[in-house]
Amino acid sequence: MLKVKDLSRTFQSGDTEVAAVDSINFEVPDGQFASIIGKSGSGKTTLLSLLGTLEKPTGGHIEIDGKDVTSLSDHALVDYRRKKIGFVFQAYNLIPNLTALENVMLPLSFEGMHGTERKKRATELLEQVGFTADQMDRKPGRLSGGQQQRVAIARALANKPSLILADEPTGNLDTETGKMIFDLLHNLAKTQNTTIIVVTHDLSIAGKTDKSFTLSDGKLVSK
Amino acid sequence: MNTFTLGVRNAFRNATRSLSIVIILGLSIGLSLVMLIAHQAVGQKINDVKSSVGNTISISPAGFVPGSEANNALTTSDLDKVKSLAHVSALTETLNDRLTTIGSATFGRFGNSSPTNNQTSLKSPINLSDVNKQGGGLHVMIDGSSQLPSNFSLPIQILGTNDPSHLDNGTDITIKSGKAIDGNNDSNNALISTDMANKNNLKVGSTFTAYGKTLTVAGTFDSGTKGGNNTVIVSLPAEQRLSGNSGDVSSATATVDSIDNLESATAAVKNTLGSNADVESSQDQVNNTIKPLENIQSVSLYSLVGAAIVGAIVILLVMIMIVRERRREIGILKAIGGSNSRIIFQFMSEALTFTILGAVIGLIIGIAGGGPVTNTLVTNSANSAANSQQAGPGSMVTRMGGPGMGFRRPTGGALSRNVGGIRNTLTDIHANVGWDILAWGLGAALFIAAIGSAFAGWLIARVRPSEVMRAE
Repeated sequence: MLKVKDLSRTFQSGDTEVAAVDSINFEVPDGQFASIIGKSGSGKTTLLSLLGTLEKPTGGHIEIDGKDVTSLSDHALVDYRRKKIGFVFQAYNLIPNLTALENVMLPLSFEGMHGTERKKRATELLEQVGFTADQMDRKPGRLSGGQQQRVAIARALANKPSLILADEPTGNLDTETGKMIFDLLHNLAKTQNTTIIVVTHDLSIAGKTDKSFTLSDGKLVSK
Repeated sequence: MNTFTLGVRNAFRNATRSLSIVIILGLSIGLSLVMLIAHQAVGQKINDVKSSVGNTISISPAGFVPGSEANNALTTSDLDKVKSLAHVSALTETLNDRLTTIGSATFGRFGNSSPTNNQTSLKSPINLSDVNKQGGGLHVMIDGSSQLPSNFSLPIQILGTNDPSHLDNGTDITIKSGKAIDGNNDSNNALISTDMANKNNLKVGSTFTAYGKTLTVAGTFDSGTKGGNNTVIVSLPAEQRLSGNSGDVSSATATVDSIDNLESATAAVKNTLGSNADVESSQDQVNNTIKPLENIQSVSLYSLVGAAIVGAIVILLVMIMIVRERRREIGILKAIGGSNSRIIFQFMSEALTFTILGAVIGLIIGIAGGGPVTNTLVTNSANSAANSQQAGPGSMVTRMGGPGMGFRRPTGGALSRNVGGIRNTLTDIHANVGWDILAWGLGAALFIAAIGSAFAGWLIARVRPSEVMRAE
């Protein structure tokens, strides 16, 4: 269960304090697929960064599986992020000089998993997202956008996280590929009981998720 | 794939840039190693020279001016006090003078003897034409005229010494015929060079005159030099008696029982003789002689450190550039669970890869260039030192001892012999590349990598993982 209580994040812009996220409250049960929609500058990305512990809130609390992550130290947050959270980015953000397989192995190596086991797990994950053995050995530059995003999803799943945060995962893809990626994420949420939160502009995607939140000027205007 | 491997692989992401970095680092480390090799080789030479110079003290009359008749002599009684000093194990005393030959000009004399009674029947084995052939540029005028008598002969050095095994400049002599003389026995026996014997048709047992007395040839010798062979050697008491300088000594060399006592013994001799004598230990003279080497050692040390710092700055700037280029990637690594330390280690591995490859090139440069560069530095420095010495005032006096110049400056027997020998071998330096050089090369690479990564590491730690979201 993901619980967000009075979550705020303010920035100083000159003499003015800007609230990118302003006292937000919501909950997402385990295994649900939720979406956050809103205009540019509404605070979607900031909210996602806060949920992913990439940034610290200036107020409020985030509970994941009953644990308040806002009170964790920086060092503990790194561990927490590695074990509990997976990220999928709009621009895929794969490491360009590593193969698809090596990209998926990367978070497993951070976890300290042994080489052989690491390779086996990464191979399974890539097979799960529809990769062939030949494709696994390709570097990102030789993969299509949809393939790269599938690698990014496999990488996000590597350490069996309880929460996957996806920032515009279909934003750089054509409609068909975007639908395929959406279906993949949706299936993962159901089959692996993983909570998935997607930030998107695409209202058609938002309409298919279990929950949808709308942000406007940092405030949650609808659930 | 572990973090280290990832760092190593990252070093080859941009082959052209990596090659450029490695070459620059290689040159930097190579120069550093070349300078280290030079520094070590010169340092070893300095140590060898210092340890081999011996433990002698040169004693000469204070303020000795070559050619001046006003020079004060040391006295045997002064030197007897030196003999009795602690740690002084031997004392070689000499009194030298210059004998005028038939047809030669009147020359400056040592001490108070009359300039008219130092004539000899001998003729110098050195021809004036030989001197000019050697570029000596010797011009002799007698009574204001440059017209020389047909029987003109250069003056002859006469050396009274209590150790007649070598000349006063330290050159060893080899007895060719007859036998050596006793340096402490007052007799009219003399050693003359084989050249001089041939020139004057003399052999062992023949006689010649000097100071109006008849001297007997006890033996003939060869010193290996024309100047040295223009010398008559007699015992010290004989020369004191013949020249009328009873009790006078023009130079002395004290031998100290141990190099460890050299400094204290030198101080004791200075205290004993006070302002009457100039006292210099072999270490003092060697210190002057090896000064060019010490300069090279300093230059090479500064160059070594400078080259290493340049290497560190190069890798520092490169790593800063790389980190700035890969901020987004660092953000990704942090977002997916990479810790600061792990990511810093990855970049350090990259820096280390550059520097290790640079070190390999540097070692090749160092091994290939260490010897030649050291030799060039030493040779140039030695030549500069030699040129400056030759250009100095009075150099002709000490080298040629030309007419009208009087006595050569006392140079102090064994000490001079040692220093002379050292000067000859000063440029004979062998640069070796040992394990210590290899270890230093590796150490320099690690140092450069560590310095180069340090600031990069700080930059990495400052990258916030949320930047990867902002960069979308």
